Amino acid sequence: MKSLRGKMRLVGTLVVCLFLVLGVSYGFTVYSQGSVWASNPYNTRASGTTAHMGDITDRDGITLATTLSDGTRQYLENEQARRALSQTVGDQKGMSGTGVENYYSATLLDISGSLLDKLRAAFSGTERVGSSIQLTVDAQLTTYLSSIFPEGYEGAICVINYKTGEVLAMVSKPDYDPVALLAGEEAQDTAYLNRCLQGLYTPGSTFKIVTLASAIENDPNVLNQKFTCSGSWNYEGGTIVCAGNAVHGTVDLKTAFAKSCNITFGKLAYQLGMERLRNTAELFGLNENFKFDDFMIYNSSFPKSGENLSDLVWSGVGQSQVLVTPMHMAMIAGAVANGGVMVEPKLVERIQNPLGITTHTRSVTTYRQVMSSSTAQTIAQAMYQAVTSGTATRAAISGHTVCGKTGSAEVSDDKSVPTHAWFVGFLAEEEHPYCVAVVVEHGGSGGLVAAPIGQKALQKAIEVVG
Amino acid sequence: MTKPVSTDVMRKALMRSNTRLLLSAVMLFQFTAMLLISCQQDPLDLQALIFAGALPAATWLTTMVMGRVWPVDRAIVILAMLLCSVGIITLSDIAKSPSTPLTQGIYAGAGILAMFIGCAFIRSVRKWDKWVLPGMILCLCALLSPWVLGSWKDGARNWIVLVEDKVTLQPSEFIKPALILILAAGLAKKPRFLKCLPILAFAAACCGILLSQHDLGALLLYFLTTVLMYFVATSNWLITLSGLGLGGVAAVIAYKAFPYVQKRIAIWQNPWSDPLDSGHQIVQALIAIGSGGLFGMGLGLGTPRNIPLYHSDFIFAAIAEEFGLVFSICLLAIYVLIIMRGLVVAMNARTSFHSLTAFGIVVMLGLQTMLIVGGNTKLIPLTGVTLPMISSGGSSLVSTFLSFGILLGISSMNAEDEARDIEKLSIREEVF
Repeated sequence: MKSLRGKMRLVGTLVVCLFLVLGVSYGFTVYSQGSVWASNPYNTRASGTTAHMGDITDRDGITLATTLSDGTRQYLENEQARRALSQTVGDQKGMSGTGVENYYSATLLDISGSLLDKLRAAFSGTERVGSSIQLTVDAQLTTYLSSIFPEGYEGAICVINYKTGEVLAMVSKPDYDPVALLAGEEAQDTAYLNRCLQGLYTPGSTFKIVTLASAIENDPNVLNQKFTCSGSWNYEGGTIVCAGNAVHGTVDLKTAFAKSCNITFGKLAYQLGMERLRNTAELFGLNENFKFDDFMIYNSSFPKSGENLSDLVWSGVGQSQVLVTPMHMAMIAGAVANGGVMVEPKLVERIQNPLGITTHTRSVTTYRQVMSSSTAQTIAQAMYQAVTSGTATRAAISGHTVCGKTGSAEVSDDKSVPTHAWFVGFLAEEEHPYCVAVVVEHGGSGGLVAAPIGQKALQKAIEVVG
Repeated sequence: MTKPVSTDVMRKALMRSNTRLLLSAVMLFQFTAMLLISCQQDPLDLQALIFAGALPAATWLTTMVMGRVWPVDRAIVILAMLLCSVGIITLSDIAKSPSTPLTQGIYAGAGILAMFIGCAFIRSVRKWDKWVLPGMILCLCALLSPWVLGSWKDGARNWIVLVEDKVTLQPSEFIKPALILILAAGLAKKPRFLKCLPILAFAAACCGILLSQHDLGALLLYFLTTVLMYFVATSNWLITLSGLGLGGVAAVIAYKAFPYVQKRIAIWQNPWSDPLDSGHQIVQALIAIGSGGLFGMGLGLGTPRNIPLYHSDFIFAAIAEEFGLVFSICLLAIYVLIIMRGLVVAMNARTSFHSLTAFGIVVMLGLQTMLIVGGNTKLIPLTGVTLPMISSGGSSLVSTFLSFGILLGISSMNAEDEARDIEKLSIREEVF
């Protein structure tokens, strides 16, 4: 009996200790993670309870959403602007999970406010008003971009400041009207998706930026190497051809990049091998969890396994299993412009509590140095060449230094559907540090369709943002 | 010289004064909470109003009657009633239909009856050994019954249907106290390892059947309780550790062999990767807990219905949303209190059989609570067990009440033994 009691005391202590661990870790995780959990886009608690919701304004202070005294939620007057910003701002029903109204519902409703505030409100009987949020986006720019998007096509445009990470515009087509939604009208399902953050696309030739970076970082001498393009190249197990059956002849890397030669980049990927290409891609943020403070971006992916030669060669030109989001592509272009430093995108400029006290201001957060500044400079030169004499000439803006890269991503094995038209680019100017990513689904050629949109986006950004 | 007060009277008085404050506090909580829920409806929610009277009344009656009939540890009775009423209050507050809390209330009534039966049962039966073998066979038959009378539900097949679409029964819940009794009877004489084998084989067979029914939670509970009871009974470190090791190996094999185990682990590691499908439950639970914050959304003000299985497996998350972090940690503390009082009962028991039984009940209660709370809060992978006394579900509630009854029965026997000792002592003192 004595040893029985002794062992019972031992096990009992153990159980009580485990409870202690459970309680402490539970308390600690809720304390540290609770508000993150609560502000998850899948939290539908906020939808329908906008009575106390704070305002959302754009970078110039234009009110994008506000709550009237009778409790109804009001959005922009202009329907076109309302639609352009629909996925960014969100809606009362919480259909667009990434929208600020949903993602930041805890702040807007002040759920996370202190107990004292709650008690005071409970006793005084006044309705608590949530904090208001100023965004980094420019409503004018976003509305303009939405209006120039090819009619009848789906896709996305995002413009960010590559030095500070400020998101200046996110356009995702199709869009929806939050007011009509409240009136009971339902948009098509895909309209609620913010394609900038949630659209996973084959990047096509725009991915050559990463392949080029990998090549230079692994062997700087590759820049002196000449490649021969005879229109097609048979590797063991398949054939790779250039777009439009073009023959580029003997070219150096920069020219091959500017002319978007698939064969050169297929060979480059072959030289590098899967391992090194994947390492660079992962350094650029593919296969990584993109959960930033202000929003969650779907994870871009690069093939994790598969030593298949065909996968390797086609991954080098952004085909195969490579998938990226437009926002990520803009960040990659931004890293090239910013001396190899990728910054985290930011959507929230400032949060003000109901008393007008600023509780949060934007700060610049470096995501990572994804390549050396000299590599970034070389790629920027190649991207400049693409705009001056390559595939991206339609992106040029007179009087400004535009660098860019086009892409026409194959999305079918037999070319039965038109390619996705891509353009990523940036202004290589200190006073206008803007980069852009454009994707037009099944739009055809990137150089013809996406590059002009990119040009207009950058030009308008200079005009309205300064 | 005044005549000394009878020790029995002294003990009883002491116990009553100790628990009177606790009893009043619990009754006040039950009354105000149910009243609040009732007032949220317009017109008043009649059922909740009845509960507002019935819960404190039932608590008071049960405590008084039980305490008068047997010298049981009243604190355990009151705390058990408190937990049970937290369940009914939460269900009244969040359940879609008013029939859910009503059924729970009816089951609680049956549970209280089962508690009395359990108490009387453990006090009356003295010969245990001859019941072990028939008990084992009966348990195995009951555990196997879902294969004949049950069907798959929520990925497990551990139910049998008594009345179509109405009354279902989970045999694995009722086997819990039976398993503990059988283990305690078999291990009470501190036998050598070989003599334990039939008992251990029985426990292993139970675990095997549960594995085939995909009832991982109950499996884990059975296994750990068996190992811990074996350890306490025999003090054999070697066998205990190798038993745990064997369990670990079995877990690895199960992980490799069964896709549903792999899925559980994958969901646990990253539920956010698939928040709409496989990770839906845990993501919604975490969102609910996060929304609740420190002090909760307030009774009736949250929307824990977004959580799938909010009334059974995820009731802890629902409570955390409505009542907040502080209350839910207090709830854990209540379990710890019961466990500690239960351990005192186990250590004071006069025979190793009773001691082991009480210990087994306490340990199983503790493990079960930790499994489900840890699962709700993403500390460990989720296994579908109920939160004892709180989750909706008749089998679990009645079975837990039965276990508590057995524990209380043992506590009353302890009290009687102690009183007898003191009396002997005082008689001796009078002699000298």
